[in-house]
Amino acid sequence: MRYEIRHTTAYEYSEEVTHCYNLGYVLPRETPRQSIIDTKIIVTPRADQAMVRHDYFHNRFYHFSIEEPHDALDVTVHSVLEVADLPNVDIQSGPICSEVFNCLKTMETEETLSAREYVIESPFIKWNDKIRAYAQPSFDPNLPFLSCVMNLTQRIFSDFTYDPGFTNVSTPLAEVLEHKRGVCQDFAHVAIACMRSLGYAARYVSGYLETLPPPGQKKLVGADATHAWFSAFIPTLGWVDFDPTNNAMTGKQHLTTAWGRDYSDVPPLKGILFGGGDTSTLKVEVDVNQVQDDPAP
Amino acid sequence: MEPAINSLNGYPNPPSHDEVYTQAGDVRPHWQYLLQSLSSLGFEAIEDRQMKASRILRDDGANYKLLDSPDAQNVWKLNPIPLLIDSEEWGLIESAIQERSELFNLILEDLYGPQTLIKHRVIPPELVLSNPSFLRPAFPFTAHDHQSLILHAIDLVRNSAGEAIVIADRTQSPSGAGYALENRVVMTRVFPSLFRESHVHRLAHFFTQLRFKLNSLNPNGGIPRVVILTPGPHNESYFEHAYLSNYLGFPLLQGKDLTVREGLVWMKSLDGLKRVDVILRRIDDVYLDPVELRGDSLIGIPGIMEVIRSGRVIVANPVGSAFLENPALYRYLPAIGKHLQGREPRLKSAQTWWCGDPNDLEYVLAHLPELFIKHCYRKPGFYSVCGPELDEHKLTAWRKRIIKRPWHYVAQECIQKSSAPTWYQGQILPRPSELRVFALAGEGEYVMMPGGLTRASLEESPKMVSSQPGLLFKDTWVIASEPEKAAPSRPSALPEDVVEIQAELSSRVAENIFWLGRYAERAEATLRYMRTLFLQFNRVEPLPERAYRTLLRGLTQLTNTQPGFLVEDEALFKNPETELFSLIKDPERVGSVASSLTLMLNAAEEVQEQMTSDTQRIINDIGDEIGYLNEQFQPGMWSAPEEALDPLVTALLALSGLVQESMLRDYAWHFMDLGRRIERTTQMSAQIRSLFVPCYFEEEEEILVEALLMTNESINTYRRRFHSTPEINKGLAMLLMDTNNPRSILYQLHEVGVHMKNLPGSDSVLPAHAKTILEATTAIQLSDLKILATKKHHDQRLILDELMARVQYLLSATSDSLTDRYFDHSQGPQMLVQNTLYQD
Repeated sequence: MRYEIRHTTAYEYSEEVTHCYNLGYVLPRETPRQSIIDTKIIVTPRADQAMVRHDYFHNRFYHFSIEEPHDALDVTVHSVLEVADLPNVDIQSGPICSEVFNCLKTMETEETLSAREYVIESPFIKWNDKIRAYAQPSFDPNLPFLSCVMNLTQRIFSDFTYDPGFTNVSTPLAEVLEHKRGVCQDFAHVAIACMRSLGYAARYVSGYLETLPPPGQKKLVGADATHAWFSAFIPTLGWVDFDPTNNAMTGKQHLTTAWGRDYSDVPPLKGILFGGGDTSTLKVEVDVNQVQDDPAP
Repeated sequence: MEPAINSLNGYPNPPSHDEVYTQAGDVRPHWQYLLQSLSSLGFEAIEDRQMKASRILRDDGANYKLLDSPDAQNVWKLNPIPLLIDSEEWGLIESAIQERSELFNLILEDLYGPQTLIKHRVIPPELVLSNPSFLRPAFPFTAHDHQSLILHAIDLVRNSAGEAIVIADRTQSPSGAGYALENRVVMTRVFPSLFRESHVHRLAHFFTQLRFKLNSLNPNGGIPRVVILTPGPHNESYFEHAYLSNYLGFPLLQGKDLTVREGLVWMKSLDGLKRVDVILRRIDDVYLDPVELRGDSLIGIPGIMEVIRSGRVIVANPVGSAFLENPALYRYLPAIGKHLQGREPRLKSAQTWWCGDPNDLEYVLAHLPELFIKHCYRKPGFYSVCGPELDEHKLTAWRKRIIKRPWHYVAQECIQKSSAPTWYQGQILPRPSELRVFALAGEGEYVMMPGGLTRASLEESPKMVSSQPGLLFKDTWVIASEPEKAAPSRPSALPEDVVEIQAELSSRVAENIFWLGRYAERAEATLRYMRTLFLQFNRVEPLPERAYRTLLRGLTQLTNTQPGFLVEDEALFKNPETELFSLIKDPERVGSVASSLTLMLNAAEEVQEQMTSDTQRIINDIGDEIGYLNEQFQPGMWSAPEEALDPLVTALLALSGLVQESMLRDYAWHFMDLGRRIERTTQMSAQIRSLFVPCYFEEEEEILVEALLMTNESINTYRRRFHSTPEINKGLAMLLMDTNNPRSILYQLHEVGVHMKNLPGSDSVLPAHAKTILEATTAIQLSDLKILATKKHHDQRLILDELMARVQYLLSATSDSLTDRYFDHSQGPQMLVQNTLYQD
């Protein structure tokens, strides 16, 4: 299946910015089920320096600077992806929690060793006894691990309220857990902290989600969103994605941009600017659309 | 030869291995000459040399600021007895250190590259991946054809068996090499013959090699521009940054002096941007680039990480090298050595247990009271603690902390450090010591500084030695078996114009020098005026009331400290002492002498590397004098208060004399003198307005003219020239118009104009700051002295007042225009997304 993504991030500043340096994770990465057909980045005003590189996690990131005065910044990315169907995963099969726990500790395959990076604390993922206590009921040592992760996903979905006004990227996890409110990124962080607190490996995934309009209605332009979910590691199977915001394992509509230990490894855009005044307005627009494959020649 | 054992009479039995005595009680051969010499010198002479050393260090401004009291100026304490190491042992240490530095370089390149140490299970992944100083933004790590680790410092102690053991590695921006050099310089001055006769290996060659190495790292071709990056004067080792900058001849810059443009790093210099090729950095990894590391860092260079990745600037040591300071590596070092070098390292490290390993953790928790606990990464507020010093309560807290984040802690054996003879309160006593040595990436292999920085503790058995109170430093003498030959020839010479480009001045330095000049002049003008006031008040004849009040009001106007004496407050004029003293000694009061001097000292600190040692000495004196002001100006001291001000006036005169006589006529000098002249004009205009504009009786005006002439050192000339009592028109002739009087306004304006012609970019159209000076000069030249002095309106010389007000305005416009043109006033950086704060 072929997808076309348009992702615009636009800032307007209250005062002139003399120059700025930015870095963004806005280019989808190759994954076993997702290949990149085309990507284009348009920065307005034109970037004076720009470079695409692979980071530590093999994500692609875009580094650019604007060295002329400007009072607005627009970064628009067009991507075309070819996405394969996900293999069916039976969450009731596979190793049980205690096996996963022990394998992570003892198996010394390269993949397992590198997964251990996702068992420990990271800049945004620290946990306390409350998080562990919240996680505990989902993980019965004798039940299939994937079914337990799904159980955690479901509980976060039903216990937490989606509330875009409540948090920002720096709201601590403890606060999210206490008020049980937040956005996709918070829910992913909660799930990751829960899993790591019990000694399992979990990583943060950023990407897009295609939304479908109600039957009979036309889809609004810019209505889609950047999205975030998490991925759990099973030593024999690899990484499996779950979306606590939508109470589901990820499906066809989930398109991956980047992954890391948590949000701080893969922010869509960050940077330093000189000038710009005290306030700025931000507008983000995303369109995710299925397109017809190119006809065979 | 008779052992020099007598010279250490009263040297108690050392608790551990001793540097001087063998277990049998014999003096080791390489100590004999020194001990004999010290003994023939006698203890009084040693004490005397010790004092001399302290004085030299103070004059050089040598200090190490303690982190917990950032304001304290802690003069470096140098002990007169060096630590001696004989050639043979040094040879062994040297080759073992070379091997270790090579190994640490390989670890760095492996962990930021293929990570075979993890993949081949040599070290557990958590040891690396849980450590906040392992920096993922350093990927992709740029490999070069030189070693990545340029400078490496290693802290060595000797255990009770006499073996050298490593207790710490410093890899991100190792400090101490400059202090070691300063120690050496002082020791050779204090003990010239002893040093000469002892056949000590010289340090200078190491710094020549360092200079050469940094130049050779240039990735961009052409003449390399190397700079030293400092966090600024508040850093505890800022003295060393400035010292190295001077010694190596590389400009000392702060993050705000540099900018990334067109994919390169540039220095903001007076005549525009200059490309920077190599940065010797003295700031921590995480502060280097707010775009990718700590977003709230104000001392870094936004965007530099991408320049580093594209290989267009070399930062030494590379970003990410802080990780090598992780003591958990010691636990695995034999295995790491085997994996990367095919052999276990020769040099032992302190025995270390890493709490991330379950067995080690168990051992540590059980033996905590005997062990030394350390963090796996450095952070302000993190200190190592010593198990034996902790009570039950604290031990429990530490156990909890360790169990919560076992990866972040190691425990090490407590090592009983060897003792070295140390001069302490008139005796030579054994004191525990440790040695920091320095390795530099050379061509092929690492080279070592033949010596190092020895630190000893005043306490008999301190648990730890670091830069804490009660700590002293020693020079380290590697004793050659025969006199050292002339310094080895320099490594292949660099192009001659290297020197030329290093003379560039950063905008920040120019600005601080300009203000150094202005504040020095402002303080001097206030001091002189005050002295005149006190002299006039204490005349035999009481002052007429109007003249008295005018003089006081003049002080308020001169110092810009309204309301002050501008209010008609009878009590205040009756008893002006409190206000006067406040204007002398209150550093919080802008405009006071103490405040101007403090601002001047701050500016001087920012440009410490531009100061000669003579200048530094005067600056130190001025700092001391500010302290005395408070003692001296206490209520009730009305007898000759002007004399208490003399030392400061003298010090300021010495400063300006030194500037005049010894400063190279480069941009720095032009800006210093511009600051001074602009300030002097401003001050004189204010004085003329205060004292000459009001019209009084002749005898009153006489007093005011005399006061102004006295303040401006022109009274004697006046008497010689005019043989008359002071009059306003003649006073004005001398102080305003006389181009031969170096204190007249016209003279200042002329000098300002000359300086401006020498500033960069002044050969084209007349710049704004030159126009304002031209206007001020012309306005004075075109005015008629007689009219200025006689034309009155409502008891005011209004024409004079207007002229002086215009001059004041034009001078302030000149200063603003210079600021716009030459100093950097770009707005500070801010984060695009406010909340991506770096956390660890």
